[in-house]
Amino acid sequence: MSELTARVREIAKRLLDNQQVDVVFGWEKGTEPFSSTPVFIRRPEEAERLVFDEFCIHNLSTYLLDYRDGSEKIGIFVKGCDSRGVVRLLEDEQFTRERLYIIGIGCPGMKDPVAHALAASGLDGNQDTAGLSAKCRQCVHPNPVLYDELLGVQQEPHLRGERFAEVKQIEAMSTAERYQFFADIFSRCIRCYACRNICVACNCRRCIFEETRPQWVGRETNLADNMMYHVIRTMHVAGRCVECGECERACPVGIPLMLLNRKLIKDVNQLFGPYEAALSLEEGAKPPLSRYRTDDPDNFL
Amino acid sequence: MKNFLEYLGFEPERYHTAWISGSEGQKFADVVTRVVEDVRQVGPSRKMRDAR
Ligand code: SF4
Ligand code: SF4
Ligand code: SF4
Repeated sequence: MSELTARVREIAKRLLDNQQVDVVFGWEKGTEPFSSTPVFIRRPEEAERLVFDEFCIHNLSTYLLDYRDGSEKIGIFVKGCDSRGVVRLLEDEQFTRERLYIIGIGCPGMKDPVAHALAASGLDGNQDTAGLSAKCRQCVHPNPVLYDELLGVQQEPHLRGERFAEVKQIEAMSTAERYQFFADIFSRCIRCYACRNICVACNCRRCIFEETRPQWVGRETNLADNMMYHVIRTMHVAGRCVECGECERACPVGIPLMLLNRKLIKDVNQLFGPYEAALSLEEGAKPPLSRYRTDDPDNFL
Repeated sequence: MKNFLEYLGFEPERYHTAWISGSEGQKFADVVTRVVEDVRQVGPSRKMRDAR
């Protein structure tokens, strides 16, 4: 058992033992060596189930939404991306700080369980299993930004190279090329909504995609409705996306959702910035698209 | 929004935003004329339509 796992168990046990919290969010070992899955424990003796290893890739902050109407106190382990998710929910007033005890872990980067599963299955042995997962290779903020207690060691950004390189490549294409590029991608989408469900910034109680009167977006999986879905989803998280990469990771058909999110991160940065979403919790702070200033840019008018 | 549609391969001429008060009849007429001119220039849109 690693030292971090031991520390995680010890803290969870302590919090439940002295009834500081009612539930602890963490990760446990899944059915395979290359899977660790979210777990929610309520009894001190269950602390033995917790682990922290290189497959704890899930962003746990999303699961707070299942608890937003209760009054239970929650202990939650967070990596860099999870902690920004927590700030997202606090800033969006979906949760109160008093209900949370946050244990931060400096994140060394996580591996991709799917690549490891494929490699182990023998179906596709040519997987890159040595390095970090796609989302972690792009990570700029691996250290928790909000916590009551901190574990692990301070990490350097995992991103190598330029953050917006791929976005710039697409921007450099012609209009027709861009349309073809995205039409090919969006025609694959099966509208399973996994990318929305896993997203911590998608926290509306009534989602526009579920409304039927009026029905804003067709339910069919044709290219036009798929495009409409992706335009709206991306715009709705603009300026609030915490770049956790969970949407892209959850997509069963490999839609590169981060290409869309990063375009808006780049633009919000340029137009309203410099701005990085949910990097710290400040009293009354709002993301740029949720406030009005007389000097906001209006060159689209 | 305009930037994003452009990124996805839509012609920027198709998207307009304007701030017009209820009393600005002339401005409304001007904006609509400009929209129509811009859209005429890029021609009919097949993109979203043929995709259905
Ligand atoms: S995105 Fe960053 S903080 Fe999140 S798991 Fe990857 S390396 Fe860790
Ligand atoms: S997860 Fe992928 S397939 Fe499912 S709705 Fe999102 S983009 Fe489409
Ligand atoms: S849009 Fe994707 S990357 Fe951004 S917060 Fe949601 S799940 Fe994370």
